[in-house]
Amino acid sequence: MTPPSSVTPAPVTLGPVTRTDLVRYAGASGDFNPLHHDPDFARAAGLPDVMAHGMYSAGLVASQVERWFGAGAMVRFAVRFRAPVWVGDRLVLSCDRIDGADLDLSLRRGDDIVLSATVHLAGKGP
Amino acid sequence: MNVLAEWTFDVEAGKVAEFARAVGAPVSDAAAPTFTMVAGADMVERLVSETLKLDRARTVHGEQGYEYLSPIRAGMTLRCRAMLVSDVMKPGKAGPMRVVTVVVVYADATTGADLVRETMTTIEKAAP
Repeated sequence: MTPPSSVTPAPVTLGPVTRTDLVRYAGASGDFNPLHHDPDFARAAGLPDVMAHGMYSAGLVASQVERWFGAGAMVRFAVRFRAPVWVGDRLVLSCDRIDGADLDLSLRRGDDIVLSATVHLAGKGP
Repeated sequence: MNVLAEWTFDVEAGKVAEFARAVGAPVSDAAAPTFTMVAGADMVERLVSETLKLDRARTVHGEQGYEYLSPIRAGMTLRCRAMLVSDVMKPGKAGPMRVVTVVVVYADATTGADLVRETMTTIEKAAP
């Protein structure tokens, strides 16, 4: 496992998000809320199209943190969903702050933050 | 805390791999960090539609947090316990919102050791 470091990882581009990605996540997770795969249901709820599961985006972020710092590196991981993610979105994950074992991350579509996350890595402090 | 549900969940290797592929994680016998969604999916569905009776079309996932104590691995059986932390109305831009926070603790059913503590916050926006 890579030890926590003060070197900020370079931003990573994720996506574009496809309908197939969302259907695959629905099947894998068991979250079959129709807002995430049924365009008619989504439009009836006032959305322009299906939106990604928040936990799909959170899962992509967690996977990238493990690519940066190693599997099992996280002691705590918390995400806040700030805006919907749509099919076709290209997302950029960046590490905005790194302080020993604590990271602040943001996932952006252009200038909009769609998800913000905090991570505490193993091996440094409480 | 008010216990909402208790259940067990078998961590199957194929499901661990399927979930890893769906979130772009390397396939390994250790489950991806957000794998507990799989173990909790049925509970969340019942919680939203039956226990809390939230209107799905107005309900959004606000926040999700994890505390990792020990890895979840393929072959384990999890003992899962969901507890209601709070269910309150808060002022929102479009009127009062209902904010529900639930903690789920996932333990190794064999040893009893806690593995993951998960906190989820769900928001039901004001009715139009």
